[in-house]
Amino acid sequence: MIHLPIDTRIIIATTISGVAILYAVLFWFMPCLTRHDLYFAVTVTPGFRDEPKGKSILRQYRLELMVFTALAFIAFAAGVGWFGVGFVSAGLFIELVASFIAFYLARQRVLPYAAQPTMIREAELHGQNRVIPGGWIAASGPFILLATCAGYLWIHGAQSDPGAGGQPNGLAIHGLAVYLLFTTARLAALTLVLYGLSHWVRPVYAGGLERARELKFRRTVSVIVLGMEYYVTLQASWIVLVPRRADLATVGLLPLVFVFVLVAIVVLARLGQGGSRMPVGDDARVASSAVPVGDRTPDRYWKLGIFYFNRDDSAVFVEKRFGLGYSLNFARPTAWITLLLILIAPLIAVLAHLSRFLPKLGV
Amino acid sequence: MLRIDLASRAPVYEQIANGLRAELVSGKFSPGEKLPTVRALAINFGVHHNTVAEAYRQLANEGWLELKRHHGAIVRERDRPAAGPDTMERFTRPLRELIAKALADGLSPSLLAREMTETARRLEGKASP
Repeated sequence: MIHLPIDTRIIIATTISGVAILYAVLFWFMPCLTRHDLYFAVTVTPGFRDEPKGKSILRQYRLELMVFTALAFIAFAAGVGWFGVGFVSAGLFIELVASFIAFYLARQRVLPYAAQPTMIREAELHGQNRVIPGGWIAASGPFILLATCAGYLWIHGAQSDPGAGGQPNGLAIHGLAVYLLFTTARLAALTLVLYGLSHWVRPVYAGGLERARELKFRRTVSVIVLGMEYYVTLQASWIVLVPRRADLATVGLLPLVFVFVLVAIVVLARLGQGGSRMPVGDDARVASSAVPVGDRTPDRYWKLGIFYFNRDDSAVFVEKRFGLGYSLNFARPTAWITLLLILIAPLIAVLAHLSRFLPKLGV
Repeated sequence: MLRIDLASRAPVYEQIANGLRAELVSGKFSPGEKLPTVRALAINFGVHHNTVAEAYRQLANEGWLELKRHHGAIVRERDRPAAGPDTMERFTRPLRELIAKALADGLSPSLLAREMTETARRLEGKASP
């Protein structure tokens, strides 16, 4: 048996704490990363955030964010002391809830200053710019790698754990099969998101410089999703190819999660939501200063400012109003299918513990 | 680029059909070319796909499009129909209202007449090979 130089739990706790600090920093700067005419998920006049009232709301939000995050960290530290390192993930959740409360309070303060967004909608008839980065070859890569791993295990035979009385009970094989199934489900969900980003997102601008910036942002998000697919595959291959060392494998790749999240956040923050922080020409600035465009979704369809529900909108993905990336239109059945596929992977993990009838690799 | 106004009193499907018709008349789409799918156009506009489907059906009834299941909307070769006695009648009233609005907004009759003639010529010019 190999002893790890550092306690596995400490590494997991440190990584998740790092992600928690990243989230706190991100929430601090988030109001500055959204589109100029959206403030705390409310459509406002483009100059509102620079007005005294806008600045005062931001100050109050940041103060509350600091207080709530500090309280969350105290609860988190107490929880770790009481329940052990396993409470770290719960701490991350508490922090997110605390940040959301700060956001919600700020949103309530902005609502009286809401402006009517433009009702003009535009569509480009020639060229839809539906591009998956790297094409389907890049998108199918993770599946091929995973299949190769499964094939390797099949040919070389996965070992079984000795059960009671020294007889193999198939637990390791069972675990590997379930883990591969779990990973396939995660990859399928990410691939669906990748497809959705190229086909089901409603563009805010149909042409011009704004459109180019938006496309660059969308491609960047797609590249990040593709990167996640490769990370998931790398993790799965690492774990299944290093039998009985899953703890070591997990620890070895965990810092990579932190680096990946950090890089993704920095890249997206530099672009701004929908590419809104990319440099623009004077013409575009003048054009966008007349009537608030926002994200061309009416405020009333945003529940709590984070859930979009509009039956009359065919888009499955729309830009998040407070955050970087895209959100689902929960009025569309496809959105629920996507969500179900995302949730199916953890469901498989739960079922695997309850059921003994899942397919077994190499048996 | 096609543009609609959701705040307008005109039905959205009609606005889409009018916009597409203008594109077709000006020859921006040649016969045999495919229009964006109903779903793609609905997503771009942020409207329900039935609204776009209704606009496509209207244009198909006018002979501009051929709608094929799983193949989308294909632009048809269309001969100019002979104008009937009621054709002018159908356009007089909206035209009159539009001209009245333009005059009320300060445009001169001569400027309006020139703009209308030039627009009709531009469309005709691109439509004819």
